[in-house]
Amino acid sequence: MRVLVADDSRVMRQIVIRTLRQAGYDWEITEAANGAAALDIAQAEDPDLVLSDWNMPEMNGIELLRAMRQHGIDIPLGFVTSEGSAEMREQADAAGALFLIAKPFTAEIFRDTIDPFLA
Amino acid sequence: MSTAIDMSLFGGADPIFTIADEVFSAMIDGEPGLLSEWFGEAPAIADPMYAWVDVDGVAPGRVLLSTERETALQITRALLEMGPDEVVGDADFVDALGEVANVVGGNVKALVPDPGALTLPQVTHERPPTSPENLLHELALAWRGRLLVISLWSLP
Repeated sequence: MRVLVADDSRVMRQIVIRTLRQAGYDWEITEAANGAAALDIAQAEDPDLVLSDWNMPEMNGIELLRAMRQHGIDIPLGFVTSEGSAEMREQADAAGALFLIAKPFTAEIFRDTIDPFLA
Repeated sequence: MSTAIDMSLFGGADPIFTIADEVFSAMIDGEPGLLSEWFGEAPAIADPMYAWVDVDGVAPGRVLLSTERETALQITRALLEMGPDEVVGDADFVDALGEVANVVGGNVKALVPDPGALTLPQVTHERPPTSPENLLHELALAWRGRLLVISLWSLP
């Protein structure tokens, strides 16, 4: 499975990747530092899943999701974000996100959230 | 942030400590128990680093982390699972401390009514301007015995 991880923080991208491994996901990972770069990679490489931060420069996560859908890119996208309020979850859901994982997260949270979509 | 956080809603527990404890347990230490409230009067920070995020909107606010540079280096090493002798690059140092502020700030934002957008984190050696009358809440923490202060401010 090929996954695109988008976050403007290199440190957070490393933590996300590390936690995916800890959760048992031995996936091929591509990284993007903002939504615009993530959109380019999504168009070029057609990953199976996008894990995106919300608050990023150039293009934020919700803008990325909307841009993907507008371009006819139906790759599933889940948010991994520091903003896990009910309001943000509603926005994510309304835009068509698969899930929203709030930071801080654990490998168990990743498994509990992502496993149902892999079944 | 339109008002101070109503602490009475949290059954006596400081919600800022709860947030910080979750961040450090999950992201930095990989286990709970290494963060506690600072006992006694917190000392002045001699070689400070500051990281903050702002919440925009009708009543803007700031979540500010203040700590010693050496503590920030240790936090970076822990976040990246680096060895004690590994050199921490400047970019990773700023990124790591900013990300801690981002995650704490994002969770604090979820506690307040009518928040605006969360800004990208900023990290500096100089303290950002704050006025004492704008202090909403301050919590001094001990992480592995090292001082870390989280403060919430209303902005003009």
